[in-house]
Amino acid sequence: MQIRHVLVLALGVAACKPVGSNRDSAAVTTGAPVVANARIGTPVPPGDGDWTMPAHDYASSRYSTLAQITSANVKNLKAAWTFSTGVLRGHEGQPLVVNKTMYVVTPYPNVAYAIDLTQPGYPLKWKYRPDNSQAAVGTACCDVVNRGAAYSEGRLVYNLLDGHTVAVDAESGKQLWRVQMADLNRGETITMAPLVVKNRVIVGSSGGEMGVRGWIAALDIATGRELWRAYNTGSDADVKIGPRFKPFYATERGKDLGLTSWPGDAWKIGGGAVWGWLSYDPQLNLVYHGTSNPGPWNQDMRPGDNKWTCAILARDADTGELVWAFQVTPHDYWDYDAVNENILVDMPVKGQVRKTLVHFDRNGFAYTLDRATGEVLVAQPFVPMNWARYINLETGRPEIDTSKATRQGKLVKNICPSLEGGKNQQPAAFSPQTGLFYVPTNNLCMDFESRPVSYIAGTPYIGANAPETGGPGNYKGEFIAWDASNGRKAWGIREPFPVWGGALVTAGNVVFYGTLDGWLKGANARTGELLWQFRVGSGIVGNPITFTGPDGKQYVAVYSGIGGDMGLLIAGDVAANLPFDVRERGTTLPDLARYTSWGGMLFVFSL
Amino acid sequence: MRRAIRYVILMALTAPLACVRDSDAAEAREPDIVRRQQPRASAQQATFIQHPDNIQPGLSLRGGFIRLTNPFEGDQAKVREGGALFVSYNCMDCHGADGSGAMGPSLADGRWHFGGSAGEVFQSIYEGRPEGMPAWGGRIPDDQIWRLVAYVQSLGAGKDVSTENFTGRTIQKMGH
Repeated sequence: MQIRHVLVLALGVAACKPVGSNRDSAAVTTGAPVVANARIGTPVPPGDGDWTMPAHDYASSRYSTLAQITSANVKNLKAAWTFSTGVLRGHEGQPLVVNKTMYVVTPYPNVAYAIDLTQPGYPLKWKYRPDNSQAAVGTACCDVVNRGAAYSEGRLVYNLLDGHTVAVDAESGKQLWRVQMADLNRGETITMAPLVVKNRVIVGSSGGEMGVRGWIAALDIATGRELWRAYNTGSDADVKIGPRFKPFYATERGKDLGLTSWPGDAWKIGGGAVWGWLSYDPQLNLVYHGTSNPGPWNQDMRPGDNKWTCAILARDADTGELVWAFQVTPHDYWDYDAVNENILVDMPVKGQVRKTLVHFDRNGFAYTLDRATGEVLVAQPFVPMNWARYINLETGRPEIDTSKATRQGKLVKNICPSLEGGKNQQPAAFSPQTGLFYVPTNNLCMDFESRPVSYIAGTPYIGANAPETGGPGNYKGEFIAWDASNGRKAWGIREPFPVWGGALVTAGNVVFYGTLDGWLKGANARTGELLWQFRVGSGIVGNPITFTGPDGKQYVAVYSGIGGDMGLLIAGDVAANLPFDVRERGTTLPDLARYTSWGGMLFVFSL
Repeated sequence: MRRAIRYVILMALTAPLACVRDSDAAEAREPDIVRRQQPRASAQQATFIQHPDNIQPGLSLRGGFIRLTNPFEGDQAKVREGGALFVSYNCMDCHGADGSGAMGPSLADGRWHFGGSAGEVFQSIYEGRPEGMPAWGGRIPDDQIWRLVAYVQSLGAGKDVSTENFTGRTIQKMGH
């Protein structure tokens, strides 16, 4: 009852009509980079006209050297062709382009298509429909999304919602192997995009809301045989902590912290899933990944730091050994997963060029770390934020505003950002031309009330209500450019809805992103000036890519198809095809259903 | 009455619950509850399928659940107890606060994937459903399932959500 009153009040204040985008302090001049001498920290894959891995390169830059489409001519960009995926629901992720073929993977049932780019009308080379358990649909917390495939040496590799990893012959579509990695009966699913490192496929689990015990594993790409699996909670042996483990901060050191930072056996159902993006530094041979929130959300049930949830972990790619760890949000009170992408960039920080890892966390802080050691170099809020005063660079830990610390049986009001985070899965991009990071963000706040919860295998393990409202200001999302060397915003484009699609930036000085209300937008990467936009059919929660077609032209491609946590849960039901289950609209984005409905289309653009 | 509610919640929290997706128990035989309430179920079923006009696509003909009636029909106290169980068994975190829909479908829109009669809702809870609804039969007492049925049926009563008018006020939704 009480919650109802509060919410109605909050709605009255936050009610906002979607209007045209407002630019916010676009004051950057053209010419020199904003951050000089910043470069992508890993080699760019050969043949930059293709897009062979989820984030384009191991550094997760989502930067392309293609430059036919520029800030001068992008206004002439037109839809070239489209393709229906045959599936509704949230189309997160991105297609791949390899050897004149485009590969598309859909949300559940995770159909893969190979589209021949050399033929008129772009016919299919093949279509692959995997065996994929229907029970996965109701086990996935936040829509039945898939964040894409990886390509390596004639194989397409991706994960199925029901917990399998599959490899398909890229020429014929024939299934090469199919291996069960996750256990649906324990609430595990897989939604993340794998990364192929040498002859290994790296995959991780979803299910942080289901009382899972999160893990990351490596499979032999030739056979699917499991080479190593590391858990993110439990004993040092299970976490793969050994003599090489040298975390930067003292609070990350100690024996069996994955056990001792939990009460009793809570670590067994404590979350720490790996549903986000992976990066890899070939020189250091380290794979970087984040871990999800601890379970349950009710923090009173799990006193302690709850390691290694809400953490960034660096593991040896060959063995899975943990080399360093940094717990971004120790003892999470707010569902601030740390699974967002880690972008590897070499750039000057405080006058010295460092090998950095840049991470825009759910908790609202943008972290610039030393990626060899895990030291925090810069940590500044990139969205409206009130749960912490600052990050203590001596300890790496946040100084928490205790009035925002959630407690069982207490309604804690107006916590920013909301549990969706200052940023969620929507990946950022980095341009060495400008030295800036391009970040799709949310501006949401929440009230939070937790309660006791029982663990029942295969059901949610949450124990909290967290209704959300718009954050301060008349906007719920902003696409920003960020200077990670100094920890400050360069410019921003305000959006009426959270920006749930990822970013792409090109050598043509154009940055692309999609919106929940169905616009693909192109802006000047230096200034943030909006240069072009096109209204696709359904809201965009996927990530644009760019490639060179067989005709030598540069193309931009993106999925249209609203869904994911933002589309499915927060906006209420925007589907029209189900005669049952017509949900009433949620409060957070009450107007979204007016601007979009479910879809599943690929859009491809060219000049 | 308060004492009764507390008792039910306590049971819910302490009930020994293993893997709830193992529906072998429900598959193996017709549940006691069906046999008890429907001693002549097989005879009725045979009569039913002799009339093709009455056969509907997708209708489950096994189990006899559809003809079960809720012993707690119209009992508001049991509806409230069902609401407490809805939270205790984590139903809320799938189906949303007040059954408004989240991971799992809405239970509050007056529309039903598998039928909205008391017996059909009982069957959905007892046997589970293919897209991830766990089979609770044998895991929790039948009388608790009936309380859940009473609660779930109360959510969508009298609602009409056929039309979405985008100019009106919207309802608030909680949970995840």
